[in-house]
Amino acid sequence: MTPEEESDALLDALARGELPDPGDPAAWLLAALLDDTLGAAGDDGLDDGLGDVGQWRSSVSMTPST
Amino acid sequence: MTTGRISTGIMPIVSEGSVADAKIGVRLASRLPARTDDSDLRELTSLAVQGDRTAIESLLGELRPMVVRYCRARLGRVSGQYHIADDVAQEVCIAVLSALPRYRDMGRPFASFVFGIASHKVADALRSSVRSAVPTQDLPDGPDDGPGPEETVVRYIEVEHARRLLARLPDNQRELLLLRVVSGLSAEETGNVLGMSPGAVRVAQHRALARLRQMAELESA
Repeated sequence: MTPEEESDALLDALARGELPDPGDPAAWLLAALLDDTLGAAGDDGLDDGLGDVGQWRSSVSMTPST
Repeated sequence: MTTGRISTGIMPIVSEGSVADAKIGVRLASRLPARTDDSDLRELTSLAVQGDRTAIESLLGELRPMVVRYCRARLGRVSGQYHIADDVAQEVCIAVLSALPRYRDMGRPFASFVFGIASHKVADALRSSVRSAVPTQDLPDGPDDGPGPEETVVRYIEVEHARRLLARLPDNQRELLLLRVVSGLSAEETGNVLGMSPGAVRVAQHRALARLRQMAELESA
């Protein structure tokens, strides 16, 4: 697979709501943005749009850097 | 196991390896509806153009969430809310409905037609000063089941970081990534919106991702 094909596959995966490699900062940022654009009740686009990044983030332990 | 580092002062650490990774995927994927097959969408569009009300409703039901996400990603929040972006998304849907009787299938995906309109509407909104008028929510009567203040702040910081880095990309690269990821368009559909061949889209999106990755890593170094 060429690097271009890998990027294509990564973007396809992100668009499906998958995060193949949380260690990839670009993928992480795009996933966070996508999540934020989703409504709290799902993808109905009718709510206040707060999203619930925190719910999927809760499966990842977070520590603030110092 | 990999460790992602976000340079907003927040460092996500995957502590449970593939289990956590899978959960993240499930979390997002469970909130994204699967897209209708292209051939089904083409048939739906054909019926909608002929005025079939059920087909029009189904078509809008399919496309509206994608348009809402796109407008939200492009326009962002104002005073913590997506009111402006959602209003623009509504305008896009109305414009699509108005243009539907005149739509002719020229072999391009219908989504390209929709996002061509969406792109112009968003550009209009960015130029206008409408962003200054923001409705405010009433004070809630009961307890708020939403995320707490700390979690909300963390979320805002991270998403604003994403927006800030995306804003530093060339316009075409930023638009490309948003259409591919947030709107969920294929490389072919994205190429149709931006006037590029699918091959050119794949090369440009690879460069955009590399640039975004580099900027994120530089900030976290």
